[in-house]
Parts: sequence; C-alpha cells; structure tokens
Amino acid sequence: MLPFAVATLRHRKGGFIGALIALFCAAALVTGCGTLLTTGILGTVKPERFAAAPLVVTGDQNVHAVEIKSKGKVKNKAKPVSDHVWVAAGLADRIRALPSVKSVAAEVLFAAYLPGGPTSDSFGHGWESASLSALALGSGRAPSAPDEVVLDASTAARTHLHVGSTAPLRTESGTMPVRVVGVTSQGFASQAAVYFSTAEARKLAGHDGLVDAIGVFPAGDPASTERDVKALLSPTAAGTVPAPVVHTGDSRGPAEFPDSANASVRLVSMGAVLGGTSLIVAVLVVVGTFALSIQQRQREIAVLRAVAATGKQVRKMIGGEALAVGLAAGIAGALAGLPLGAWLHEEFVSLDIIPANVPVVLSVFPVFASVLATVFAGWAAARISARRATRIRPVEALGEAELKPPRVSFVRALFGVLAIVGATVLTAVLTALHSDAAATPVCFNAVLLWCIGLALLGPWVARLAVAVLGVPLRMSRVGGYLAANNLRAAAPRMASVITPLTLMTAMACTILFSQTSVADAATAQRAAGNVADYVVGSKVPASAAGSVKAVPGVRTVTEVLHATVRTGLNNRSVLGVTPAGLADTLDLGVTDGSIASLTGPDTAAAAYGQGYHVGSQVSMTLPDGTPARVTIVAVYSRQLGFGDLVLAHDLVAPHVDVPLDDELLVKAPGVSPGALAAALKADPGLGIRDRVRAQASHNDAGAKIGYVTLGLIVAFTAIAVVNTLAMSISDRGREFAALRLTGATRRQVQRMLGWETATAVAVAAALGLAIAAAVLTTYASGMTRGTGGLSVPPAMLAVVVGGGAVLAGLATWVPARAALAAGLREG
Amino acid sequence: MNEAITGTAAEAITLQAVSKVYGKGRGAVAALREVSVGLPKGGFTAIMGPSGSGKSTFLHCAAGLDRPTAGTVRLGGTDLSGLSETKLTELRRERAGFVFQAFNLVSSLTVSQNITLPLRLAGKRANGARLTEVVQRVGLAERTHHRPGQLSGGQQQRVAIARALIADPEVIFADEPTGALDTMTAREVLVLLRETVDTMGQTIVMVTHDPVAASYADTVLFLADGRIADTMHAPTAATVADRMIRLGAWSR
Repeated sequence: MLPFAVATLRHRKGGFIGALIALFCAAALVTGCGTLLTTGILGTVKPERFAAAPLVVTGDQNVHAVEIKSKGKVKNKAKPVSDHVWVAAGLADRIRALPSVKSVAAEVLFAAYLPGGPTSDSFGHGWESASLSALALGSGRAPSAPDEVVLDASTAARTHLHVGSTAPLRTESGTMPVRVVGVTSQGFASQAAVYFSTAEARKLAGHDGLVDAIGVFPAGDPASTERDVKALLSPTAAGTVPAPVVHTGDSRGPAEFPDSANASVRLVSMGAVLGGTSLIVAVLVVVGTFALSIQQRQREIAVLRAVAATGKQVRKMIGGEALAVGLAAGIAGALAGLPLGAWLHEEFVSLDIIPANVPVVLSVFPVFASVLATVFAGWAAARISARRATRIRPVEALGEAELKPPRVSFVRALFGVLAIVGATVLTAVLTALHSDAAATPVCFNAVLLWCIGLALLGPWVARLAVAVLGVPLRMSRVGGYLAANNLRAAAPRMASVITPLTLMTAMACTILFSQTSVADAATAQRAAGNVADYVVGSKVPASAAGSVKAVPGVRTVTEVLHATVRTGLNNRSVLGVTPAGLADTLDLGVTDGSIASLTGPDTAAAAYGQGYHVGSQVSMTLPDGTPARVTIVAVYSRQLGFGDLVLAHDLVAPHVDVPLDDELLVKAPGVSPGALAAALKADPGLGIRDRVRAQASHNDAGAKIGYVTLGLIVAFTAIAVVNTLAMSISDRGREFAALRLTGATRRQVQRMLGWETATAVAVAAALGLAIAAAVLTTYASGMTRGTGGLSVPPAMLAVVVGGGAVLAGLATWVPARAALAAGLREG
Repeated sequence: MNEAITGTAAEAITLQAVSKVYGKGRGAVAALREVSVGLPKGGFTAIMGPSGSGKSTFLHCAAGLDRPTAGTVRLGGTDLSGLSETKLTELRRERAGFVFQAFNLVSSLTVSQNITLPLRLAGKRANGARLTEVVQRVGLAERTHHRPGQLSGGQQQRVAIARALIADPEVIFADEPTGALDTMTAREVLVLLRETVDTMGQTIVMVTHDPVAASYADTVLFLADGRIADTMHAPTAATVADRMIRLGAWSR
C-alpha cells in the first residue's frame, strides 16, 4: 500500500500539513532537549586557570557512599561538593621531588572583589600559580609588595584599571587598597583573577598549610608522570583519607569549577523533563491531528473499503502515510533542533542558569533519537486513529448517506477513565512531595495525564459542555443558534479543538503559577521570618560587620551566609548565622526546641519534615569536603524562606570559597540608615535596605527555567491549536456554501464560526484552569507544607486566558476568510 | 426575442447582453456571450445544453451567485450589478430559492430547522402555519425532526425544495435537481416542482441535461457555446431529446 500512501500524501497535502508541522516541531523540541541532555552528560567545563598544567592535583571533590543493593550487589556512588577541597601544601614538595616531574606550582584562592568587576567567580591568587595558565605579563611587572597586584587582561578591561591605578579590593577580612603593578596579556572568559605575591596570597587565603590545587609539569612523558604522582598519592602513601586526586585533560575543568557539576545535573534534569514533556505533548497533538484528518477522509476511506480494501489494508495505508510524514518531518525537525538546542543553551547561559564555560555538545545522538521518537510517535498516532478508520462502513462511500462519526469505543472510554483515575492519584500524591526535584515532574505528568484523559473522553466532555453552553448560545438568533447546533452535531470535531487549547491553558498556568505560588510562599516566609530593622548586603566582609556592631544603638548584627552541604549524598541548603541575639533578627518559626540553644559549631536547627528532631545527630560534609557533626537543637517551619538547615556561622565560613556574608541582619531600633551608612564608608559597594528581599537564588533559576520551558511548550501547543482549528474549518467549505446559498451572509457564517470557537475557548479555559487549579493546589500545599496556597497574579492569568482566546480567534478568522472567499458557486 | 426583454412587470428575471468570461488574456474562456432573455413570472423554464454550453453559468448569473463580466441582470425589477456582496445575499434571501443536485442541507440541523433557516438568517420569525403548509406540500410532515443524514436522497431534495419555498421567493433556481436521484424519485421531485408552479404560481428556472426533466417545464431554452441557440414551448421528452441531438450537430 506504500505507493498508494505516497500518492495520497501528494494529493491531499492540506490534511497532512497539520501532522507534518506538529511532528516537525516535536522533533525539533526533542532534539533541542536532547542536546541539553547530552551537554549535561558529555559536556565538560573547559579549564581556564589550569589550562597550561598537564596534571592538576586537588583534594577529592566527591562525597562517596556505598549502596548495598539487593542480591548483595554493591554500588559506589559519588556526588561532588560545591566548593574547592584543599590539599596539604607540603605535598607540592614531595611531588616536585619525583624524578619524572619538571616543576610544580601551587594555587591558593580567596574571594576578592574589585569595584566594577564580577560579583561571583572573582578570586585572588598567588603569582606563583600564573604559570598554571601560562599567563605572561602584558605590561608592568610581577607583584612583590603586599599591596601590589596583577590583573588578568579581561578583568583589567572590565574594571578600567591599568598599571599604576589603585583600587579598593574587598576580601573576607575587609576592604584593602591595592595597586595594580601589572596586567597579563591573556584574559579569562568566565572569572576574574587578582594575583598577589605568592606569600601575601597564602596569608590572605587562610587555610594554613593548605593549597587548593597543585599543578604539575612533567619532565618527559606525561603518562609516566601521572603514574608516579598517582602512586605517591595512594591512600597509604599520602596518609590522608580521602586521598588527593590527579586530574588530566578535561577533568581539570571540574576541578577548577566545582559548581559546574551542578550545572550538568541541572542540564540533565531540565533536558529530561522538557524533552519528556514535549514528547508526550507531541503524541497527544499528533494523535489529534491524525484523528481529524482521518475523520475528514472518511468518505475517501469508505470508497477504498467499498472497492474491497480490507480493514488491515486501510490501516496499513494509514500507517504508511504516517511513516512517510514522520520520516520527512522527523529528519527535518531533528536537524532544525540542533540550532534550537544551541539557542536554548545560550538562553540558559545568558540567564545565568548554567555557566558559560560548559560549551554545548552537538552530537548525532539526539538527532537519531529524535527521528526515531518522531517516526514512532507519528506511526503510533496513526495506528490509534486508524482503529477508527477500520470501522468506517463501505456503504458510506455510496453517495448520499450522511457521514456519521463512529461511536466512541468502549476501549477508548476505559483508557480515558483510567487516565483520569491516574491523574487524580498523581494530583493527590503531590501533597506529600516537598522538594522541587520530586514535585515538578509529578506536577507536569499530572497535568498531562488529566489532558490525556480529557482527550480520550473528549466527545462526551464536548457534548456535556454544549448541553450547558447551548442555552445561552441560542440567545443569538443566527450565529449562536447555528453554532450550538453544529457543536452538538459534531462533538468529536469540537473535542479535537478543545484538547490542545485545554493543554495549552493547563500547561501555561501550571508552569507559571507553580513558580509564583512557591516564590510567594518563600517571600512570605522570609518577610515573616526577618524581624531585623535593616539588611546590609551583599558579600559583606568581617570588618563591615564589626563596624556596624560598633554603631551606638545597634543591638544585634546577625551575619548570614548561604551554602550547600551534603548529608550523606543529599544536597541541603544551609544558612550559616552568628548565634548571638539571633532571636532579635530571625524568626524561623521554631516548632520544637529553642533557637537560643543554637550556640556553637556543634549545634544546628533543622527544617521540619526531613526526619530530624531535637537531639538528632547529623553528620554532614561541608562545602570544602570537611566532615562535621552537629546536634539538632531546634526544628523550624520556614524551610522555603531559610533553607534546610541553620548552622553556626563559625562552622560554615572557614569551609567555603566565599566566606563573605550574603547579608547582615541588623537590629537597631531608633538608629537612622545614615548612621549605618557612615559606618560602612570603609567598604564601598555595600547597600542598606529596610527589609530583606533576600534572593533565594535557586527559586530565581527555577522561575527562569520555567519561563523558557513555558515558551517552548506553549509555542508548540499554540501551533497545534492553530493547526487543528485551521484543519477543522478549511474542511467545511461545502457546509459554508450550503449556508451561503440558503441566504447566509459572509458575516453570519463568520459569526457562527466565532461563536463555535468562543465556546471551545470557554470550555477549554474552564477545563484548563480546573486542571491547573487542582494540580497546583496540591503542589503548593506539598511544597509549602500547607503554609501557602495557590498564588495567581491576575495579570498573568489574563495573559494566559486572553492569549489563548486571541490565538484561537486568529486561527478561526484566517482560515474562515479563506474558506469563504472561495466564492459562492455550488460547492 | 429581443423586443420582449425590456424589463416589463411580467418578467421575473431579465438578462440583457450578459457575458461571462473566465480567466484573462489568451487563456480566457467565454462561458456566456451577450445573452439577452426575459423569463416570465409564474413560468417554469428549463435551460438545456451540452456540457460546457454555459448553462450553469447562466443560472449563477441570473441568480446573483456570480457576477457577469458585462451586461445587466434584473431580478424582480432590481438591477443586481450595483449591489454589494451583502446586499446581494440579502436580496437572494428574499427573492430567490435554491435547489441543487447535492441538496446542500446543513447536516447539523433538523428538517424543520433547515427549512426555516432562510427566515432565521433574514432575522424573521418562522410562521408555524406556513411551515406546516410547506412541509405538507413536500410530503415530509412526519419527518420534521429528522436530520438530513437520516433521510433518503429524494427526501433530502424535498427538504431543499421546502426550504426554497418557505420565504415565498420570486424565483426558485434549480441546478440539476434530479441529477443525484433515481428515476422514480426524480419523477416525484419534478411533479412537486410542477405543482408549485401550477398551484402557487411559482417561477422556476431549472438547469438540466435530462430531456425528461426538461419536459416538465413550460419553456426550454437551449444553450450552446454561451449563446441561446433555440427556444421551445410545450416541450415533450422526445422533442427535447431530438432537439438536443441536432443541437450537438448544429453547434459543430
């Protein structure tokens, strides 16, 4: 039947363009997401500072755990910590002593910020480590006096500093004036580097007797040097557990940028969620499109059946058509998806969700996967629709017998009910999911399952909706009356329009309002929890905290530091706070124990719901890999606003790359902002705010990812909406001609179509909003542990609903104009 | 004939030097060439001619479905050439009824809804008595709540005739009304059309290629190559068929 299928395709271009476009977009989306996924898995961050050192030795950046699986299988798992893990400085001398080593250079790093420079990834180093990146002086000389620095070329350009300038440099201890004595000829793309003299840098970096990395230059064959260094570092020889690690080639990147591992994880999960969602949406859309095109070809298929084609042959023909369409659309779309993937990557980089130095990996793997997925989706969609085609009776070919849509089958109804049941279960499950990672995919799947259920039960839903809306519709004597009758008589057609519209509304609301609900709940918690009078931020050095404390009238200054630790392999967001007078500035919503018992590095408070209670002992790995053990003294409820754990500042600060405080919470009743500002004079660039609007950065990234995702999925469903409407209208030429011949004006026919679309939009909006409301209510209740409800900004809601209506209106008006312009001679 | 077409009150439709050319330049095809004719009120006129003779174009132009390239068409005394598309539709709605080979019923509406549709479109209320009368006349009294899909071809065509009659139009235009029907059903439909002329004084213009159908008319106009080749009064199937055969030969 394939030649026949191809001939049909050629003949009936119109009907297939819809499916072609839907599959094309699906293929492009899947390739795009696949590209993100491959970048996450295969992509490596390029080393910058370590680019010239063939071997780099650092501490072990991973937390290890042994999982014992069933059947006695043992699996070693490793997860990276968020900051640099330091190694003993003395190791450098021992490596240098190896005969196969030509030279070594150690690196230290400490947070150092220049006015006008970047506010993250800006570090001071010792001049010794410039050789790791083969930096050469472009102008000036190497630093020698304690206040002399050399800048890398890009930082110098960005901060408008040159040899001879002076600038205030903010570091952990305070703001110090530095003199630029040299600028290198090369610059770094994704960080700022400030080089001090080697001795001064060691002093500023703290970490006595430790360095964050040792670069090794081999004397001869790098492979033999690597062997020698590894032997030296083996646990028994090095005497430390875990042993330092040798990095070569691409693995030097993650050693230089420990947080790039998070970006990879983010890319993988984002790519998977987005890709999976778009694939399901694609199947839904394509099934709809094929079903519509088969409905429209009912008579043609009946003719085939009449000339004695068996049901199997018809199914084969339809499957063949789908294969041809799927292959054409899949290949074209998959190729178009590569630039889409690159664009997505660029977007995420520019939104600061992933670092710029993880270059996108364009590989053939997502292309092949996408072509396969698309062809299969198209073929499956066609086979599902073809079930209907086989039930078309041959007699329907014989002229006048009016074509009746086949009855909706029992199997379809059954699956519809099952999908609704599944969706209800998923929706209910959401109340028990409290983390973003667990709740988001379930949330999307619940919405999709609701939509699938509604799509399967579509004709009944449509009939019910028309029964209700038909009454007001008939108030309009011509347009509404005709529309109501048409909708009742052609419920499946209406259902096929409602499905993508519902999907679009539900998806858009879910993506938008899941963000706003959680963000608003977090903001509310922060607003309620922050009882300080002023907030000073950000990247505050210790000296500033001291001078604020010295201002007369200031009662309490709480230094706050955000960080990420691991308990076992799990990531926990923590807040490091100075315990003194904590109750003055921070109200965590303590439900058990007392925050006053948080006194030193061995105590902590934990958010409710993680299985900790007062008296629990918690072992954790600090950001630089140091193990720590704390006793829980309080349990609090405001997790969204303040993170999973609250630790003592003294426990956190020595073990992070950036120990500068993210904010100072100041309790100073009756003290004017001016008095505080005067105290901060020595540290330019710090701001004072009345109340905290502290940014919880992960929420921000979540919202941005949400918007990009939203854009893609909505664009895709919008195409489906336009597609379906255009297909359903352009096929009704005969009907319009009949109406026109009976005396209907063009305007009357247009109004009729307008009413039909308006009804579909109203039904879809109601269903979409109902789905979103159901899913989001349980989602919000789970994420906020019942503390926050649904938060829906009316303007956004208006944009979603109004946007859908405008889109549907346009998608009606344009094909209606075309169908009506075709003239009035007998159709 | 030409003296009889000055647009007297006795004529339902008047065509004056009507030409219709499709396409432009070299590919242009003239479907009607300066046709002038007047069709009397209360008359049943059949238009006959071989394929491509322009008979459908004639009907479309006369009914205001299509605009002539040149010449004027008067429907019930109104010149159609100056009317906008909407005005034209409204005029058709008031003064013309249509019956087509493909029935052209609205599938989502019941029989009575289909019949009263023109009134509804014109913003008028359907008169119950009038509906009953029309439905009875076409013999569908028991089927008013059926949908077109549940009716036979002949029944559908009778719905179309009832729909054409409901607004009491000046002219009913029928384009091959029996083309999709078997001979028995076709006969019933033609008898129905004839009755409306005889008992209600309805004017009917019917395009057909079937000599038997044409024999139900008062007058037959023969078209060939876009011109009126002949006129025959009181036709019978045999004379029409005979004339058609010679028409083919004559036109060559």
